Amino acid sequence: MDRFNNGPDLPVLGSSKKAAFERREPMLPHRTGALVIKKGMTAMYDPVTAKRTPCTVLQLDRCQVISHKRREIHGYWAVQVGCGTKEARNVTRPERGHYAAQGVPLKRHLAEFRVKNADGLPEVGSVITADLFQEGQYIDARGITRGMGFAGGMKRWGWGGQPASHGTSLTHRAMGSAGASQGSGSRVHPGKHMPGRMGGEGHTVQCLKVLKVDKENGIVVVNGAVPGPKKSIVKIQDAIKKPWPEVGLTIGVSTMGSTSEALEARV
Amino acid sequence: MSLVASPLRPLSYLKQAVRQCRNEREQCRRYATAAAVQYPSLQTRYPPPSPGFRPSQAIKQNRSEEGMKRIPVVPPPRSTAKACPDPIATLTQSQIAVLDPSGARTRLFSPANPDRLQPGDILLVRLRTGDPVSGVVLAIRRRHQPIDWAVLLRNQLTRVGVEMWFKIYSPNVEGMEIVQRKERRARRAKLYYMRKPRHDVGSVEGLVRQYMRQRMGGPMASRDAKGRDGNSGSKKNNKRGRN
Repeated sequence: MDRFNNGPDLPVLGSSKKAAFERREPMLPHRTGALVIKKGMTAMYDPVTAKRTPCTVLQLDRCQVISHKRREIHGYWAVQVGCGTKEARNVTRPERGHYAAQGVPLKRHLAEFRVKNADGLPEVGSVITADLFQEGQYIDARGITRGMGFAGGMKRWGWGGQPASHGTSLTHRAMGSAGASQGSGSRVHPGKHMPGRMGGEGHTVQCLKVLKVDKENGIVVVNGAVPGPKKSIVKIQDAIKKPWPEVGLTIGVSTMGSTSEALEARV
Repeated sequence: MSLVASPLRPLSYLKQAVRQCRNEREQCRRYATAAAVQYPSLQTRYPPPSPGFRPSQAIKQNRSEEGMKRIPVVPPPRSTAKACPDPIATLTQSQIAVLDPSGARTRLFSPANPDRLQPGDILLVRLRTGDPVSGVVLAIRRRHQPIDWAVLLRNQLTRVGVEMWFKIYSPNVEGMEIVQRKERRARRAKLYYMRKPRHDVGSVEGLVRQYMRQRMGGPMASRDAKGRDGNSGSKKNNKRGRN
């Protein structure tokens, strides 16, 4: 009867969506993240050790929880977060409907932050402030890298190029050979590095230390560089490769309160 | 009055256009009331816009939502980013308040200060660890934020030219003093020509020693000189302590 490997007691198949979700689950952060604007880089001195640390300054702007993604409806747990603002006449009706249904103001940027379970979903309309992150904790920063346009192999993949002299003519930065001939099947193997569009794609930098947090001005200063140019949008969330920070789930997430009332007043 | 020519004037074919114009004029001359000549082909096809007409408003009006359900819009909260338009400057100021509480270093390098340090001056840098360093200021690097500003000193040690960069707000730098100012303002911002043997001022050690003796005054001076000869760091540290 077990011919088709089918029954209630059988383990979950490794290739199923459920198994994939369960594999992923222990790596998911417990708390939401924040959408921030990259303001630029500077340096910070430690007055005691005199060590100079290059750092990136990030700023929050009206970062707010817009809606939730739930496991039973959407298949995963996530917090939809928006930041900035937009004029109503520049937003389409379907999009305005989404914000109105949740009773939250219009946002310029939207992003989702996966969380482990329903405990990590703050109330819709909650304002995320900079003190969501503690000084000394580690974060992962996701952003879109600078677009470099169509780049040659030397720039895109770090190839060495050809000699400047010794008879080299007109091929100083060319890619050279694309592979062997007969031994490898006389073809170019899939995934061969070649010139092409470089940058302008999503990139994550893991485990950046938070050096300074200023709640009033909405500033988060992190160690090192963050992908993307200035004024670009960066997603920051607790680092998945460090121990989760030991803070309450309500820290840095304050309920707005007046949102639904304001909505009632407008209707 | 029947106009033979069509009211549209061909644009590309000049000869025909001229001919058409002439034709129209001929026709107009036939009437007695030809005071103000009006060429039919030059008339606009549409009436001019009424005063106060704004195209942007017209576009918005066209995108009407009458008859649809009104979607309420929640007013956005107050912006925190607007309250702090330049967070990097804010961060820099908060750091400088810690690293240079008296503001002496800021004044020494402030471009608004007429008595600021200038290229060509001789500078003495007192360090938290180790001996003070002195030299001619070859360049002042004002880059990005003031926290990144730095100064390049050139001196000679055992007849070998030595250059050192100092970050002006580095916690390792305890103090900076101008030993001697250049008599005439240098006409360049970067005095890299002083690396050439022809322009090299050589060691400024003598000037600095004289300056230190003056600052100490009296009996301390001789002890200072002894300390120098002995080349012992600890004595110098003592001296700095008294200072």
